[in-house]
Amino acid sequence: MKKFLMFAALTLGAASAAPFVYPAAWFADPASQAKSGGEVRGTTLSDYKTLNPFTSAEANSLPQLMGDLTAGLFQQDPTSGDFIPFMAAAMPTVSNGGKRFTVKLRPDMKFSDGQPITADDWVTTYKIDVDDKVGSNARDSFFLNEKPITVKKIDATTLQFDFPAVSASAYSIMSYAPWPDHVFGPVYAKSGAEGIKAMWGISADPKTIVSPGAWVITSYQPGQRVVLKKNTYYGQWVHDSAGKPLPYLDTYSIRIVKDLNADLAAYLSGQTDVYAPTKADDLAQIKKAIDGGNLKSVLVPNVSPNSTSSWIVFNWNKSDDLFKQKIFREAKFRQAMSHIANREGMIQLALGGLGTPVYTSTYPVFKNYQFADTPKFEYNLAAASKLLSDIGFKKKNAAGYLVDASGKELSFTLATNSGNTVREQLGSIFRDEAKKVGVKVNFTPIDFNNLVDQLTSKGANRPFDAILLGLSGGTNIWPYGNNVVPCGTNLHSYNAPANGACLTPQETLMTKLYYQGDQTLDVAARQKIGQQLSKVEGQLQPVIYLVGTNFHVTYTNRLGGEFKRNLWDAYYGTRPGVFVTTYIK
Amino acid sequence: MLVFLLRRFLNSIPTLILASMLIFFVIQLAPGDFLTPARLNPAISPQQLENLRRSFGLDQPPVIQYFTWIKNVVQGDLGLSFQYQQPVLAIAWPRILNSLYLVALYLVLFYAIAIPLGVYGAVKQYTLGDKISSGVMYFLLGFPSFFLALIVLYGIVQLRFATGWAIPTGGMTSDNYSTLGTFGRFWDIFKHILLPALVVAVGDVAGFTRILRGQMLEYLRADFVRTARSKGASEFIVIYKHTLRNAIIPFVAGLGGQLPALISGAGFVEVVFAYPGITPMLLDSINARDLYLIAGFNILTVALLIIGNAISDILLSVVDPRIRYS
Repeated sequence: MKKFLMFAALTLGAASAAPFVYPAAWFADPASQAKSGGEVRGTTLSDYKTLNPFTSAEANSLPQLMGDLTAGLFQQDPTSGDFIPFMAAAMPTVSNGGKRFTVKLRPDMKFSDGQPITADDWVTTYKIDVDDKVGSNARDSFFLNEKPITVKKIDATTLQFDFPAVSASAYSIMSYAPWPDHVFGPVYAKSGAEGIKAMWGISADPKTIVSPGAWVITSYQPGQRVVLKKNTYYGQWVHDSAGKPLPYLDTYSIRIVKDLNADLAAYLSGQTDVYAPTKADDLAQIKKAIDGGNLKSVLVPNVSPNSTSSWIVFNWNKSDDLFKQKIFREAKFRQAMSHIANREGMIQLALGGLGTPVYTSTYPVFKNYQFADTPKFEYNLAAASKLLSDIGFKKKNAAGYLVDASGKELSFTLATNSGNTVREQLGSIFRDEAKKVGVKVNFTPIDFNNLVDQLTSKGANRPFDAILLGLSGGTNIWPYGNNVVPCGTNLHSYNAPANGACLTPQETLMTKLYYQGDQTLDVAARQKIGQQLSKVEGQLQPVIYLVGTNFHVTYTNRLGGEFKRNLWDAYYGTRPGVFVTTYIK
Repeated sequence: MLVFLLRRFLNSIPTLILASMLIFFVIQLAPGDFLTPARLNPAISPQQLENLRRSFGLDQPPVIQYFTWIKNVVQGDLGLSFQYQQPVLAIAWPRILNSLYLVALYLVLFYAIAIPLGVYGAVKQYTLGDKISSGVMYFLLGFPSFFLALIVLYGIVQLRFATGWAIPTGGMTSDNYSTLGTFGRFWDIFKHILLPALVVAVGDVAGFTRILRGQMLEYLRADFVRTARSKGASEFIVIYKHTLRNAIIPFVAGLGGQLPALISGAGFVEVVFAYPGITPMLLDSINARDLYLIAGFNILTVALLIIGNAISDILLSVVDPRIRYS
């Protein structure tokens, strides 16, 4: 019986040799309305650095656009957050206690040069990515706690992934883009890492570039413009719900615009189709142009919070100043600091009203990891004073600052990177509010690189009191930073002794919960662990989270093919992939 | 002349060495390196950072890095850009070319505006026209060109709204550039660079015009001008041949400085107009601490400065009969 079921499953898998179909339920308009052809005109603020997927380091790079954003074994369904098969023909067979994944590939997939995409391409990509001489940014994603994940070819259309441990991120780890073995394989075999690094520089001939995804580069003018054409082979395995091949568009052109003002000017004057507004001023100008009839665009402010936040971290390792070390290690002190943070004021003054208060390390956009029972220490100066008096700061000195029983003043230096006006304003607001309860904050913006040196320093005596900075990114799969939460990791910045040991039982518990959640494949069970972790984190307040920016959307009325409005957010964006389902009305 | 040039060349070697050391170590003095921002990336592990540091050669002491670099520079290799993983010249050269177009038009506009205005101010001293042009010049002198560029940009967008004219707001070419013929391409680029070039030129004209006016005034009262007039030379010849030729000598001496300026681009105006010149790229590389790109470009500029000064010395001997190199 078991054998029969297995056989049935295999034949079913083979029978699903159909293209990937974007579900109609995701989209605002029916697929039947879509027209083929046309061009979308976008912009980017920084120049593209390379076409090489293995040496590329920036966000929004061309290799990413041609690869990871439109190709990969699985993708997340924005309606549920679940992974669904994309380049995989079906969900994988999971064995070995959740550590082995056998994935059947969707048949008939081809690279932009017409060569078939096979298991070899995933294996070669993996091999080059994990070679430390290549220096690929993707290298770390193929290791779990320094133990490698292995990728093996079973046959031309079957891959086998073996994880050293069960991993919550298994599906996203497996979802990397396959780069062509027939291009990179021979070079790697002959000249190794050096050969790979020398390939596909930014001035490479576009004709030699082969893409697995929806777009392939056709021309690049340094600092000016990139033109991408649709990979016609992509439509053979990616369809809309009406059965039409994707992408609909012929061309996606990207202007390189160094300056935000020029970017906005190009959008306002109708020369580009999309714009990513970040400031209240931008939104106001776009709205004015739309209201004045000069710009025919959709504008939706405050779609969702972004996956980013600013925070303040206190240094627990100050062996040269035991007074400060003691108060920084005091949970009540940090809770008081959270009470002092006037997050609404920060949003109004520093972010022009366009932001979201943040209380934990999981950004509010990850809705599935926000829990009602996570402690929050909201703006409340009276509560802050109470907490500070609990730890011995009951009286004020002549200057109006709190002092302990021995007369020592409660003061510390808060640093941020100079030149970041938002952070400079957040810091000033915090300083002013702190003064109201009698805490003296010496707020000093310093050079960014110095600041990072201080933050990432290790040892018993690290050279700072408190730092205001921000981090961003992450996924909604397990949104706790892998080198932020566990003790001893690189950005576990509040407590970084030389040996990386935890100091408090809560830290130890958080480290344990982090790895436990990271090694849980079941979504509901993982969220339960997340709930516990958030609770401990909220109580301990190792980092005081302040505010995050919001995600705003604007695009010209020419464009169709976006998600239903309720699916938009900073994580899934407004449309799948990169303009894969976008059409010109 | 040949001996003079040879001596110039030999003299320039220690200058170049010293300059290269200064450039390299001043960049090194700043805290952090190319990989500092990566340390704030939660997705990159310390081991991987170490790998990258090794592969970029950043684990070596700065002195060793300098000697490796200078050895390559002598062989004509300015090093590899960290960001692009490509030779510095291959990255910078297309940008330098773009800047050259813009700066060439700027120079034409600059001299076309500044010389007549300076001459006019001197010849028609204290007339209403002179006062107006002086007033405008003073105003522009205190105006940073990037700010002027922002105002112009705002003006273009408003003008487009009002008229619907397709005035480019930035960049160097239109979307359909590749489909255009030779003249069409020339015209397209001209359309894009006219306003930025004008903005830089207008911003710079003030200083030059003021000094030229002063020089002209001085020479207009000189004996040889009076002699020329009394010989019956026409006013045009007196002003443009006798006076201007003398008044312009200090500027010819300064021409050497213009050569590196040619490749250094039009500064922040390039940024504001989203022009793909050298400045936006250099700003990026300074921001990213892309050591060899910054150092390579700077050493190129220093070399051009030396060459430019030699050329302006030669030109000076052509313009000024008192100077002879023999």
